[in-house]
Amino acid sequence: MAIKFAGEFEVKKKPEEVYDFLTDPNRFASLLPDFQGLTVQDATHFTIKVNVGISYIKGSADVKMELAEADRPRRAQYKGQGSVAGGNVSMVAGFDLSPTAYGTRVKWQGDAQIFGRLASVAGGLLEPLGKKQVQKLIDGLQAALS
Amino acid sequence: MAEEKQNGGKGWVGASLPRKEEDRLLRGRGKFADDIKLREMLYLRFVRSPYAHARIVSIDTAAAEALPGVACVITGKEIAAETQPFIEIGPDHAQKIRDFPMAVDKAIYQGEPVAAVVAESPGIAEDAAELVTVEYEALEPVVEAEQALTDHSILHEAAGTNRVWNGVWEYGDVEQAFKDAAYVVNIDRLHFHRFSSTPLETNVIIGEWNPKDERIYYWCNNSFPSFAIQFLAAHLKIQIDKIRVQTFDIGGSFGIKITSYPQMAVCALASKKAGGRPVKWVETRSEHMVSSAHGNERTFRDTRVALDKNGVITAIDSKHIDDCGAYPRYEPLGCVIWSQVFCGVYRFKNARIDFWQAVTNKCPVGPNRGYSRMQHLWFLERVIDICAHEIGIAPDEIRLRNYIRPEEFPYTTPNGCVYDSGNYPKMLEVAKGLIGWDEWKKKQFDARKNNRMIGIGIGTTLDSGTNNFGQSQIINPYAPFSGNSQGANCKLDIYGEVVVAVGSCPQGQGHETTAAQVVADVLHIHPDLITVRTGFDTERNVHTGMSGTYASQFAVSGLSAVHGAAQKLKTEMKRLASFSLETSEDDLEFGVGEQGPEIKAKSTGKSINYWGLANIVNVNSAVLPENLYDVTLNCRYVWRAPFKVPDTKAKYGSLTLTYASQLHIAVVEIDADTFVPKILDYVAVDDCGTVINPPIVEGQVYGATAHGIGAALMETCVYDEVGNMLTSTFSDYTPITSMNIPKIKYGHTSTPSPHSYSGAKGMGEGGAAPIHTISAALQDALFAHGIVINDSFNNADSIFRALKARDAGQRSELVKLETRQASSAK
Repeated sequence: MAIKFAGEFEVKKKPEEVYDFLTDPNRFASLLPDFQGLTVQDATHFTIKVNVGISYIKGSADVKMELAEADRPRRAQYKGQGSVAGGNVSMVAGFDLSPTAYGTRVKWQGDAQIFGRLASVAGGLLEPLGKKQVQKLIDGLQAALS
Repeated sequence: MAEEKQNGGKGWVGASLPRKEEDRLLRGRGKFADDIKLREMLYLRFVRSPYAHARIVSIDTAAAEALPGVACVITGKEIAAETQPFIEIGPDHAQKIRDFPMAVDKAIYQGEPVAAVVAESPGIAEDAAELVTVEYEALEPVVEAEQALTDHSILHEAAGTNRVWNGVWEYGDVEQAFKDAAYVVNIDRLHFHRFSSTPLETNVIIGEWNPKDERIYYWCNNSFPSFAIQFLAAHLKIQIDKIRVQTFDIGGSFGIKITSYPQMAVCALASKKAGGRPVKWVETRSEHMVSSAHGNERTFRDTRVALDKNGVITAIDSKHIDDCGAYPRYEPLGCVIWSQVFCGVYRFKNARIDFWQAVTNKCPVGPNRGYSRMQHLWFLERVIDICAHEIGIAPDEIRLRNYIRPEEFPYTTPNGCVYDSGNYPKMLEVAKGLIGWDEWKKKQFDARKNNRMIGIGIGTTLDSGTNNFGQSQIINPYAPFSGNSQGANCKLDIYGEVVVAVGSCPQGQGHETTAAQVVADVLHIHPDLITVRTGFDTERNVHTGMSGTYASQFAVSGLSAVHGAAQKLKTEMKRLASFSLETSEDDLEFGVGEQGPEIKAKSTGKSINYWGLANIVNVNSAVLPENLYDVTLNCRYVWRAPFKVPDTKAKYGSLTLTYASQLHIAVVEIDADTFVPKILDYVAVDDCGTVINPPIVEGQVYGATAHGIGAALMETCVYDEVGNMLTSTFSDYTPITSMNIPKIKYGHTSTPSPHSYSGAKGMGEGGAAPIHTISAALQDALFAHGIVINDSFNNADSIFRALKARDAGQRSELVKLETRQASSAK
């Protein structure tokens, strides 16, 4: 059960500032919908805890994240792996930054693969709900960077 | 006197007796495995893999073990350390598959157990299971059998391939038939979908490994205990007689509960780790859908059909690929069982079937109602319908030209099976009459003028029963199984009550009733005077190595064993009565008198009742003369099917004893706006030879018809590209209910079997006739629109997609017709 997502937005900050924000979990993690907690292991590894609620499945997700690609100030990509309410999730999310006349264009894309009971039970709901949550995150990032 | 009491002289076999089981079941007094509560009983919850294919990097059970109320946690590695892998039936590399009840190094289907938590309550076990953390390394999943055969991603490294088995069945002169053919129809791909039976009661197992007597006790609802204990004894390294299995009332199985022996092993091992306390596992519905057993999925590729100028099939050449899921459990027997119905109901003599079976990262399959034969019968019925439409012969007419003729029975198929009896043209005639064939043909003609999509479909099927396990040697010459047998016991108890026990595991088939009817006819007493033990118990020592309830055979194997045991008891009773009434055995008459069931001397009118007989043997035995010391009034009889081991090289021989048949006709309309297929009319005609109990047979026909309609239109196990099972609840997998089953017109014909003492033929599985029939009706509705039905599952979505694909010439790629000579087939 793969969910793909992509989009872009523009902000009035320089690429370096946007890059530094997007690669510091302490600054962006709290923008995650239903965010519960963050544990930073080192400069490129951290764990996020978020609540998950889809149909009658309620629980939390612990996702180990790794900053897999870091090319300041042009590109950053994260890889994540974790367990979520009797299932597992693996994901990849990346940002491509390009300067504009007024600031920076942020192109984002990624995909998440859901495994297990969550996919079995809530298969049909996952994609719309997943995209809704991602959009909430992007809106939060956009607001924080504006 | 005896005759009048015997159901007005007609005998009890054949009587529409209400089922003995109904009284307790309808009043909520049935006894099911989950009703059993034992002292100090613990509850088990599995931790299951979310991945369809993943290496297990680590399992951390500390947090779970620390939770108050948890007795222990057991992992696949622990089990592998103290047990043997389960016996593998397949030969060569398939023998190297290592199958344990829980994943050891790798999980190879989503939902496979990787650990089990045992606790004081189900709630604690569930909470603790969520505290077990498992680290996985995801591997590339294989979800299609054809993809699996490429061995790009291997499931069982020890086997070195995903191929479980391959064999070619070839008879007659296939190539000559194609040279001489007037028509050749080429069908690229047909697909029989994966679905499962949904018994009302899921799997329930209580296992106790008693440290005192070192025996294992099971209270459960497994439906083939003799098969289970043979696998468990070898796996758990314990003497088979140390395993006691009891079953009680069972809420349906349809074959699915045959393969619950891995969970039985875990319950016993968990009990051992928990100090011998009994451990109960009650399967949830989602667990059942994801991890109990599914029916075989099968793909038919590159099919070629040769027909003469009259539309008679002369040869079939095809490649079949069977998907048995992650582990071949009870497989690869399915790789040969289909050949019990090699030519279906048709009389072609030349055929080549190249049969393959592969493992995939999906739930293991199990014998699901119609097991392995329904897939092949659906294939043959698709072939006959597609050929009919391609060369322009009406589907009823082409069947009449191809059916085995009534006068040809017993009929020997190309691979040496012997169809005992049947009359397919007669069934078609009866079905046409019941549904009003001509009126519907007229209504269809008129409806098509208004662009309504109405189709009329026929499905002819077989229910081969009482299998010859010798066919396993076609798969693996070293397989130690052959023939078939069933045991029964019939006794007069100490006070003279007639008590019967059978080595079967009824799940709603009414065995207690039909067994009583058989004994009643032997002893000339009313069935109410006969007690038939409920369920199964190894401790009764009645069972044989093939005891259970499967493969449409109780009416033949079970009742033949009961009949044999009752005859043995009757023989002993005659000897006793002859002594006590001082008369010859010929002078004796069985019946019922003032003092209940009795034996009477016709010449003197003197009689002795059953209490008196039992008293002499069991309590008052000093009066017994020495020549009667061998009389016990407790008689066990083992019935054996008259089979030989087939010729394993030629894959030739008798593989099944009886062949019940069913013929269904459906009228279906596809809504032009929503594409929802709706059944407008439906008839089911059954021929199972001599009917032991008409309402029970009719009930089985309705049940099998419901199952078939559900499978054809509503039920399909869907997996996504990474092996997630997407239909694990009844909101996505919609089993048929009484609310959406159409009114079924029921008809019956009878061709008694020469292969069973009563003329009866087993019919419990039904042969999935509705799947063939609805495919035929949908194609009849859609053929004019350029659509050929090539999948056994069809719903509004699939019909919509087919119609949309029509523009891309879907019909031309799937089926190609070659017309060889000038033919007068029309």
